[in-house]
Amino acid sequence: MDDIYLITILSNIGMISFIALSAYLLLVVGEISFGQQAFFAVSAYGSGIATAMWGWPIWLGLLWGALVAGAAALVVAIPTVRLRGLYFSVATLAFAEMVRLIFEIFTYQVEIDGELVGPDGSDGFRDIRAIYDSNVSAFEYMLIIYGLLAVVLIGFLILERSRLGAIFRMIGEDPMLTEMQGLNVTKYKILAVVMAGIVAGIGGALYAHLATYVEPKIFNVMLGVHALAYGLIGGLGTAFGPLIGVAIDIGLLESIRAISGYRMIVFGGLVAVLLIVRPRGLLDEAAMHWLRGRWRGLIRAEN
Amino acid sequence: MPILELTTLTKHFGGVHAVDELDLAVEEGEIFGLIGPNGSGKSTTVNLICGVVSVTAGRVAFEGRDITGSAPHRVLAAGVARTFQNIRLFGHLTVWQNLWVAQNSVEDRRSENFAKRWFFGSGATRDAVDQQLEFAGLAGKRNELAANLAFGEQRRLELARALATKPRLLLLDEPAAGMNLEEVHALDGRLRALQQAGMTIVLVEHVMELVMGVTDRIAVLNFGRKIAEGLPAAIQEDPAVQQAYLGGGVETAHA
Ligand SMILES: Nc1ncnc2c1ncn2[C@@H]1O[C@H](COP(=O)(O)OP(=O)(O)OP(=O)(O)O)[C@@H](O)[C@H]1O
Ligand SMILES: [Mg+2]
Repeated sequence: MDDIYLITILSNIGMISFIALSAYLLLVVGEISFGQQAFFAVSAYGSGIATAMWGWPIWLGLLWGALVAGAAALVVAIPTVRLRGLYFSVATLAFAEMVRLIFEIFTYQVEIDGELVGPDGSDGFRDIRAIYDSNVSAFEYMLIIYGLLAVVLIGFLILERSRLGAIFRMIGEDPMLTEMQGLNVTKYKILAVVMAGIVAGIGGALYAHLATYVEPKIFNVMLGVHALAYGLIGGLGTAFGPLIGVAIDIGLLESIRAISGYRMIVFGGLVAVLLIVRPRGLLDEAAMHWLRGRWRGLIRAEN
Repeated sequence: MPILELTTLTKHFGGVHAVDELDLAVEEGEIFGLIGPNGSGKSTTVNLICGVVSVTAGRVAFEGRDITGSAPHRVLAAGVARTFQNIRLFGHLTVWQNLWVAQNSVEDRRSENFAKRWFFGSGATRDAVDQQLEFAGLAGKRNELAANLAFGEQRRLELARALATKPRLLLLDEPAAGMNLEEVHALDGRLRALQQAGMTIVLVEHVMELVMGVTDRIAVLNFGRKIAEGLPAAIQEDPAVQQAYLGGGVETAHA
């Protein structure tokens, strides 16, 4: 019983980590998106349709969901990445609300074994049963979530050390100066938005299959706001930052039952205080630089 | 054919005529001084060439090609690099990364190899960066964040970063600002070495010891207009120039 509780919390942490990483990637390129929940939603529906209605295997459904989310991100990116600051934020928020409202009326059902399956407007999309039908246990599914999270995280860590990662940070710091290094900032920003869409999409697809049921109202703006807050709490200096943010919120705050009723208040207060004392989060660029220096020192001492 | 040619270049900020029908021709291989009192339009001229601000009227040609209104990344790709009056570096990146990305922008960027192009670059590029660090006297600081460098080091890094993109024309906006005499001498030597190596340089500067010594020719701006052009010695004697600097001699003019 408690075991299932633990597995559920850990699975939630894992799934939410994807959308946190997604928002983090955009924060690194200097854009605040209030709309990453849209890509989470698009992939939740897309992958659910693929497995529950078209009978695709689950792995293909996950891949499909992530790709659909990436394609949606491309559609959003092309007109919006030229917008600066607040305008980009408002545009992403508007897009996400539009997606949510479309799912409120989106109905696409087919009859499978005498039952109607598929999205049914505001009643949501039931019976996304692929993992239960293939006898994947909750524990095994948690391992799948963390396996994929590990792959994505390793991708982020490689990115961090790469030219592309350096360019993303440059854009976040000074887009005009980046442009003057001979780099087409618009192109790189589109790439970042698409990558972020895919990452959020992986989380959405995983979510739909664990919950077996999705409805439009889950994907409201609070999900996107949390995703942003995670990076801002944990720090923008490393991909571990947003994961720390998720762990603090879901792992710590949600599991301390004494504050259960006040979780949002505690969380909101935490974000407010951190934004004042550490505007780029706990593990910001300077903290990471210090840690890397210590790490190099240790390695040298070993040799 | 001049390497850089400005024809009736004009920039208005609302009612301010920051640059006003400026004609300028910089020959290949020369160090060209661009001076003038505060607010006379020097930085705006540099920004117009680099595509950072939009051109109101007129034309910018580099190596005979019209680059008026080109995006900054295209101007750089064409072979023009610059430094800033207020140092601009990527403070969140290390010294090494600042140079590495600039170096990449001309080399591995064209590589067909996916990993080279997007991720790690080639060994040759990395070696080139190490050499540049050495040349800039920053080898010991390679893993430092650019934001943590001392002022003089930041200036050297900025110059190194501009050079890393392998420009044929270098635009320097007050590189000596805030430097002590010793540092100005070092900069003087560095500029001459670059000229020896074939670089063309446009030097915007208030520090007259540097400008008068190192430049081949000078143009003087006042209220966005060119009021004089010629050899340094002639500029120093020019009454219109002395008038522009509020009656004082050019030598005494400092920012
Ligand atoms: N972005 C801008 N918006 C409005 N006015 C501007 C802008 N940039 C420059 N100006 C104005 O244009 C004029 C020329 O400025 P510019 O910076 O080119 O002068 P400068 O010769 O570089 O001066 P300094 O020696 O102080 O650096 C000034 O009057 C300045 O206030
Ligand atoms: Mg200036």
